[in-house]
Amino acid sequence: MNTILRASAVLVVTLVAGAAALAQGAAPSGDAARGKQLYTTIGCSYCHGTVGQGGGGRTGGLRLANMGIAFPAFLNQLRQPQDEMPPYVASVVPDKDVADIYAFVSSLPPPADVKSIPLLNP
Amino acid sequence: MSKKTDLPNIKRRGFLKGAGLAGAAALATPLKAVAAQSAAPARNPVPLPNRAAETQVPPAMESLTVGRSGSDFMIDCLKSIGFEYMAANPASSFRGLHESLVNYGGNKDPEFLTCSHEEVSAAMGHGYYKIEKKPLCIFAHGTVGLQHATMALYNAWCDRVPIYCVVGNTAAVEERRPGIEWNHTAQDTALIARDYTKWDDYPATLQHFAESTVRAYKIAMTPPTLPVLIVADGALQENPIEEGAKLRIPKLPEVAAPQGDSGAVAETARMLVNAEHPVLIADRYARTQEGNDRLVELAELLQCAVVDTSARLNMPSRHPLNQSGRARGQVRAADIILGLEMSDYWASLNSYRDQLHRSSESLQRAGSKTVHLGSGDLYIKSNYQDFQRFADVDLAIAADAEATMPALIEQVKRLITPAQKANFEARGKKFAADHLADVQRARSDATYGWDASPITTARLSMEVWAQIKNEPDWCLASPTSTFSYWPQRLWTMDKNHHFLGDGGGMGIGYCASASCGAALANRKRGRLTVAIQPDGDLLMTIGVLWTAAHHKIPVLWVVHNNRGYHQEVMHVQRVAARHMRGLANAHVGTTLRDPNIDYAKVAEGMGCAGIGPITDPKDLAAALRRGIDIVKRGEPCLIDVVTQGR
Repeated sequence: MNTILRASAVLVVTLVAGAAALAQGAAPSGDAARGKQLYTTIGCSYCHGTVGQGGGGRTGGLRLANMGIAFPAFLNQLRQPQDEMPPYVASVVPDKDVADIYAFVSSLPPPADVKSIPLLNP
Repeated sequence: MSKKTDLPNIKRRGFLKGAGLAGAAALATPLKAVAAQSAAPARNPVPLPNRAAETQVPPAMESLTVGRSGSDFMIDCLKSIGFEYMAANPASSFRGLHESLVNYGGNKDPEFLTCSHEEVSAAMGHGYYKIEKKPLCIFAHGTVGLQHATMALYNAWCDRVPIYCVVGNTAAVEERRPGIEWNHTAQDTALIARDYTKWDDYPATLQHFAESTVRAYKIAMTPPTLPVLIVADGALQENPIEEGAKLRIPKLPEVAAPQGDSGAVAETARMLVNAEHPVLIADRYARTQEGNDRLVELAELLQCAVVDTSARLNMPSRHPLNQSGRARGQVRAADIILGLEMSDYWASLNSYRDQLHRSSESLQRAGSKTVHLGSGDLYIKSNYQDFQRFADVDLAIAADAEATMPALIEQVKRLITPAQKANFEARGKKFAADHLADVQRARSDATYGWDASPITTARLSMEVWAQIKNEPDWCLASPTSTFSYWPQRLWTMDKNHHFLGDGGGMGIGYCASASCGAALANRKRGRLTVAIQPDGDLLMTIGVLWTAAHHKIPVLWVVHNNRGYHQEVMHVQRVAARHMRGLANAHVGTTLRDPNIDYAKVAEGMGCAGIGPITDPKDLAAALRRGIDIVKRGEPCLIDVVTQGR
């Protein structure tokens, strides 16, 4: 019961935080180099791949590279995820870290044109 | 004490058929001798050499040899089934069978496959059946050997795959050697596996063994096809065949699969033909190529969506009506869903969210109807929960789906009107466009991280595909869930043997041995067998590399070496996040680093060719070509590829 209450309290806090971030709209400045390090150490890469390519299929995370997602939505998904992604509260991944991870993810280059890869062309 | 234990033994040896000195006279003297020895006071417990016995011709001798034992007949019984192979780790509880197999039976049909673990034997049987469509025979030691085999038997049980398991055991106390043989004996040997075998028996006589041997095969092969177990008593194996015994091995029947009730099939056809948006979901459906062909025929008649769960290759991966990439959307849109041999129908019809408060909701639209056609309802057990959550079904037809499909197709053909046919064609064109879009999206997705190291599973899959697609025939013998189902998304897989589905119970240790078993069956067909092999799974039963090398089983293992039990990494991470704790320790207990395992070296040590580790994707093509050349020469090869998690 205590766990549920604690989790509920955290949800309220994170919802408020998420709403505040949404209200701000723009992405905070982040350190992409630090974000790259965090992306690996806290385990984003486990599900989303080391270069944000996504896990694909039914068991991995979504693609993050070249995703075109705004920071508020990115933050909100981290704090209050849709579907099955685990929730990452601010005490575990502070807003500053999220901003750095977002900066790293946003810096990932677009992939090569599919037509330039012979193995992907029948 | 010795009198009581020895007398029955000597009496037993007295009716040896073909013994060196048989008959009443030969029996009488040893009996007297034993009685006299027992009566004498035991002055010295240490037996001394009996010089007289060594230097004089005795009046009669105890019979110590036998011309034909029960195990010879037991091998005749097993030969009558038509087994090509018998896989086992050698063990004393079936030493009689072992000896009879390799000498009396000529080590042919079945041929002994030496395995380093009973889990290897059983999992090889799992993969072998998926190609051969007949069970592999395995022998397992009493208690401990069967305990080793159980996880693989359970996997096969969940996957509806028959394995024919023969276990040694010695029931009579006076027949057991003191010590270890008691540890390897059980009152109810099959008990440990009874929850995941369809039938077992402990024959008391040779005639009983003959009948149970054939009965077990018939039961195993009748859908739902499942593992069976026969206990071969040690004394029955090693005792002589009684003189004058009239033993008979029953006929081996052709097994016809049960078809669905004709009225229910007609009703299903009516619902499918009259539906706006019928959807077929196929799970453990296609046992044979005919099953694939019939599913395509039904789908094309209806021009309806087909969702293949990847438990088998049910629907050609590039067929325009294959809508597996849009499974949830199809269920939402459907007004009638026909599930074929569904092992978890509920999961296809509902969404489920693994958060702190687990939740689910139906994906079906209001009024949507559901039919299930499958043999699972014909045989079910209670303890293990592999039957999954109970799904809402409007019509349940307990029958083999593949066997019922011709009747269903005939009914559908009879009902379709010309006007409906035109509508169906328009429906099919929409699905074809969606399928093409899914393929294009998958190609685009595969470009991300194309040159990354560790190598992406998309790159790995496409490099393998590039090397095998022009081979005369090939088989992907590994599940694809650990590498994001890339083959289903981008390969052209249109034969039943192109993909063998998953491991059933998902017990780790299936893939390496099952792919070896599949390769064994593919060998005589000249078919290239490839497995994209998870590293954690490989470690469970790594001894199979030696079995493949020893028996020259040509299989290419391309190790998907993400250096961990990656699914478990993600589970620990999920719970750590849920508990609002740091994420730094998710690797503890879940990764296989420090030291990294050099699988190519391990393979070399087992007698297999080993290539790698490959870390640069640009090196993959050459490594794969080299590996395939080795396999095409008839030898196994392992290529270690350092990969992304998924």
